[in-house]
Amino acid sequence: MSPELEKCPRSLLVCEKSNFLNEKSRHDIHVSKHNFNYKISVLIPDCEALPANISSAFHSFSSYYLVRELPVYQLLEETFIESHVKKGNFYALSYNTKIDEENTIALLSSGQLILSLDKDTYEQLGLEGRPSLYNHKKAMRFVVTLDLTDKSLTPGTKRYQRVLSSLKDRLPLRYDFLLTKYNTGSDEDQTLIKLLSQYSYEEHKPAFSHHTLKNIPCPTLYPSDIQGKTLSCDPHHFLEWLGAVNLDISCENAADSFLSTYVCPEPQSSVSQALLCTVTGFISPENVFVLLQELRQYIDEPKFTPWISLTVHGFMDSPVSWGATEHGFLKGGENLYNFVCFKNQDYWLHMATGAQDGCPP
Amino acid sequence: MSVFMDLNIISSNDKNRLKSIIETAAHLGYSTVAINYVVEPQQKKQEIPKPQSVSDIFDKFPIVQGKSSPIKVLNRLTIIASDASHFRPTNEYKSFDLVAVYPKTEKLFHAACMTFDVDIICIAVAEKQPFHFKRAPVNGAIDRGVFFETCYAAAIRDTTMRRYTIANAISLMEVCKGKNIIMSSGAERPLELRGPYDIANLGLVFSLSEGDAKAAVSTNCRAVLLHGETRATASGVVYTMKKPKTPQKQEEESPVSKKCMRCSAHSWCPVLTAT
Repeated sequence: MSPELEKCPRSLLVCEKSNFLNEKSRHDIHVSKHNFNYKISVLIPDCEALPANISSAFHSFSSYYLVRELPVYQLLEETFIESHVKKGNFYALSYNTKIDEENTIALLSSGQLILSLDKDTYEQLGLEGRPSLYNHKKAMRFVVTLDLTDKSLTPGTKRYQRVLSSLKDRLPLRYDFLLTKYNTGSDEDQTLIKLLSQYSYEEHKPAFSHHTLKNIPCPTLYPSDIQGKTLSCDPHHFLEWLGAVNLDISCENAADSFLSTYVCPEPQSSVSQALLCTVTGFISPENVFVLLQELRQYIDEPKFTPWISLTVHGFMDSPVSWGATEHGFLKGGENLYNFVCFKNQDYWLHMATGAQDGCPP
Repeated sequence: MSVFMDLNIISSNDKNRLKSIIETAAHLGYSTVAINYVVEPQQKKQEIPKPQSVSDIFDKFPIVQGKSSPIKVLNRLTIIASDASHFRPTNEYKSFDLVAVYPKTEKLFHAACMTFDVDIICIAVAEKQPFHFKRAPVNGAIDRGVFFETCYAAAIRDTTMRRYTIANAISLMEVCKGKNIIMSSGAERPLELRGPYDIANLGLVFSLSEGDAKAAVSTNCRAVLLHGETRATASGVVYTMKKPKTPQKQEEESPVSKKCMRCSAHSWCPVLTAT
């Protein structure tokens, strides 16, 4: 048998444990750096009904817009930069583009515009970039990073003119975009809508659903033992079980069932009901942070719930995972993180990525 | 990496079957497919079929799943050659985007690798390889930018052919070290198509590395298309385009282009080796 067949594409899992009240805790940095979030799922064991504060947190998520055929040079327009990019909290990602096949465009909240281009587009566009970290033998993918808040790219400079003319005249790129802005005021929304009204766009609210699972075994976790050596279970097994619960895969491992051999990791205890909520859409990190605050508040109240799990999945086709770390798609493009919150504000943070991804921070 | 392509869909006279195969390919995520007209010249009669115009098949091409652009369809010709006289590049070859040859003997394989003006050399999948692959012609083909193709539809149809496909592919990979390989379906029915990531995994069975296997369905196919485009040019640098001009001016221009064709070389091309 060829040795290649025994190898699997590599995956990385980084586990951290700390306390939310610890001043050196970096949970807020990790959440804010993960720019593009597709799906959030929350699992609360020993919970009957959806608590009111968590439900209101979910419903307060900001809506996102899907714009068709938006030209990329529009993201460089002076008014756009002044009113949205400079203020921060604005995210844009090209929709229906695959990172390993074609061009993908992303705008981060720090003001960086990332263009992940294939060889032909890069050579025709003529902007300065560097080859992707995940090229095989020949360089087929190039990444162009433009910092829109940088002095050299202020409207009026030569470099700005050159970039704008490349994107407008030399090779006009147009894609469908997902846009979202975490705003605290409503007047900023109007300028965005005025800009979008030139193109066909739809406004969407993240889709929320929840249901209660009955009589499921849950692993017992102790905050002090994150590696799963003595008291809790191994993080890989825990995350695998969590995925099975989210996808409604039976973990009984019955002798006559050939569909699933997943089991709940030991040590486990049976729980009469658990609440599972999911929300999907184009979700900004600030919304995730608000939800995390509500969950921390929930577990602080005296309850039977031993722990709460919050999982956030990133887009498979986004060109970056955390911050500006490049992300690729080999056989899978997962980049996700998972918080397990315990009483007295202890938490675990697992960050997982696939093959073509840098190590999470 | 570039878009996923399947460069071997057997053509048939049944338009609906062709339509359903192309729809399935678009649904699986292939951005480009090539309809293959297979020709087996018997005796000395060579009847090269005229390729059906692509716009005849569909009014509106199906959109590739997960993207916003429609699928691209090309035409390809495969000559099954058991004699050197079977492969004679005529003007009729020019109407196809890609030209492939399926050599049946060792002498023809050597000639195809070193001299024939083709883009793709097909490897036997339905029978035991009648000759062994030698390093010299294979390396010569790699230098020229010619690609070797393995089809997997035969492996889906029959278990004996599955063994031959895998054995022949592994022996080819030992010689060529995973370079210049493309994998395509050879599908006659929509059910014989498989998704691009599945074919990249099949490449692992053929002892390709992970990157090489994924490239065999994407990057290498793109290189084959470019090679096919430059076949109609002079060294890949100069190409002629038909311009709608007055007949007088057209006569003036033809001597210039004839000069370029005469000096066109098959051995070294700056564009081909760069891509």
